[in-house]
Amino acid sequence: MRLMRLLPLALILVGAVLLSERPAYAYADPGTGLLAIQAAGSALVAAGWYLRRKITMFFHRAEPGADNQQKNERSMNCEDSRYS
Amino acid sequence: MNGLLDPASRPARHASADSCLEPTFRDPAGQLLLTNKYALRQIRPAAREETLAFLASPLRTTLEQSGDLIASKIASVGDHSLIGSDELWLEHPRVDPISYPWEWTTAQWRAAAELTLRIANQAVAAGWTLKDATPLNVLFIGPRPVLVDVLSFERRDPHSTVWLAYGQFVRTFLLPLVAAKYLGWPIEATLFTRDGYEPREIYKALPRRQRINPAWFDVVTLATLFERPGAKQSEAKQRPSARDPELARHILERRIARLGKQIRYAAGTPNRSRWSDYTQLARHYQAADIERKQGFVRAVLARLRPAHVLDIGANTGSYSRMAAEAGAEVVALDSDAAALEKLWEMAAREKLAVTALVANIARPTPAAGWRNREHLSLLDRLAGKFDLVLMLAVIHHLILREQVPLAHIGELAASLTRRCLLVEWVPPSDPMYQEWLRGRDELYGHLTEDDLKQAFAPFFAVTDRCELGNKRVLLLFERIPDQASVTTETKTPQQEASGA
Repeated sequence: MRLMRLLPLALILVGAVLLSERPAYAYADPGTGLLAIQAAGSALVAAGWYLRRKITMFFHRAEPGADNQQKNERSMNCEDSRYS
Repeated sequence: MNGLLDPASRPARHASADSCLEPTFRDPAGQLLLTNKYALRQIRPAAREETLAFLASPLRTTLEQSGDLIASKIASVGDHSLIGSDELWLEHPRVDPISYPWEWTTAQWRAAAELTLRIANQAVAAGWTLKDATPLNVLFIGPRPVLVDVLSFERRDPHSTVWLAYGQFVRTFLLPLVAAKYLGWPIEATLFTRDGYEPREIYKALPRRQRINPAWFDVVTLATLFERPGAKQSEAKQRPSARDPELARHILERRIARLGKQIRYAAGTPNRSRWSDYTQLARHYQAADIERKQGFVRAVLARLRPAHVLDIGANTGSYSRMAAEAGAEVVALDSDAAALEKLWEMAAREKLAVTALVANIARPTPAAGWRNREHLSLLDRLAGKFDLVLMLAVIHHLILREQVPLAHIGELAASLTRRCLLVEWVPPSDPMYQEWLRGRDELYGHLTEDDLKQAFAPFFAVTDRCELGNKRVLLLFERIPDQASVTTETKTPQQEASGA
């Protein structure tokens, strides 16, 4: 269930990656289709990266007496909020 | 600014050795000139700061030490007359001969692609990126691929999740390999495509079932579906980014790793042909004949001690290897890519100084590119550069399959060697000669060793001879020095026809 609650966050992250765009000044032709699949691929990898971190945190939380881990978790949550 | 349109980018001065060559002029950051000994790269003012930063970077040191990147040093005004006092020029060692991707085997393509990806990965980790990624930036020094374009590096936006050269890598490295393996498009056809294949071209040609092959579904099918030919420029010039540099780097590394898998899949298993297993299956040679032939070649190599050897019709490289082990730098030619692939693999494994080129000496690779000046023809790259040319069991192919008269073969050999030529003469009684004779006895069935000597006499004198048990003959010819000028002045058939 906890993982299900993370889904909206993952989608927001995907959106953030796709929508946060900067001008590109390419020397070689980046193509249009091949540039688009890079954007889609970036979003997928970002979602996986984000979820993996969350899953890691989930299992680490289950371990008893991990004050430091809780601190780490808080800091990672702060970091994650930057993607929203 | 596009280097092609910028008048200042035109080469105002040419190096003497290859004045007909304009090897690079598209890159707005600089241009390249070739001399006999060096490749000199002029850096334009706009790229000066970035280039100097790269030269001072640990990445450059690492890549040069590993041999993946060509060595560079800042050229001084005193060393080269071409250089103006306020200009920045780099000096690289000259790689000779140049090998072009359309003369590589599939295994060489894979090695060049993996080199490019390895460098791209190291660049990402070091805060840099490759701004272009094409096989034309890679040359082979012996069997080893080396990135020769120092201007390919630029500092990376740490937030960017896009590798701008990704599209070029896919078009110029991956899709030609996919097309060769699954569509049978010859790799040599890349001679005609500067920027590789568009995903749409491959998509159209692939059978429906292959379009959903996971190995290239993204770079062929999805890329075709996502193509927006009418996209506004502002849309096309946007790229996604991540706020976390660590995530951006992770995305780029994953993308490069995926390309590596795709290249390995597309390069696939090595091809095999009749000629790739020829030396193992040849029945017209007894062990004693092979031993005698190898002994003679070895003795010639020991006596001449050639620094540069050209092995025409090298097959899987038995004699190229012998020459390399005798200390020569060898260029091995064969039109059979499967046989040459074995040769390259052997040379790479044993670190032998053998450059493998897939080429047919009877139809040599033409000059190509802009005004036919970007890429030299095969003969322009090879002429007059060798101390010894090997033509072992090649001449009967040229006579019977290519229908080239003996005198023309002698003239070609004379244009390639500075000193000696070693020929294996296959007489008409030989089973291999008979196989290709195909009823043309009247035309070719009468040729003898004496005909060969007579045809070669204007250019060469015979200095040694060895007859094998199977009636084949090894002949060592020495170049007649005072005939050198005659060769260069010999008219081409077109000139003769036009009366020029």
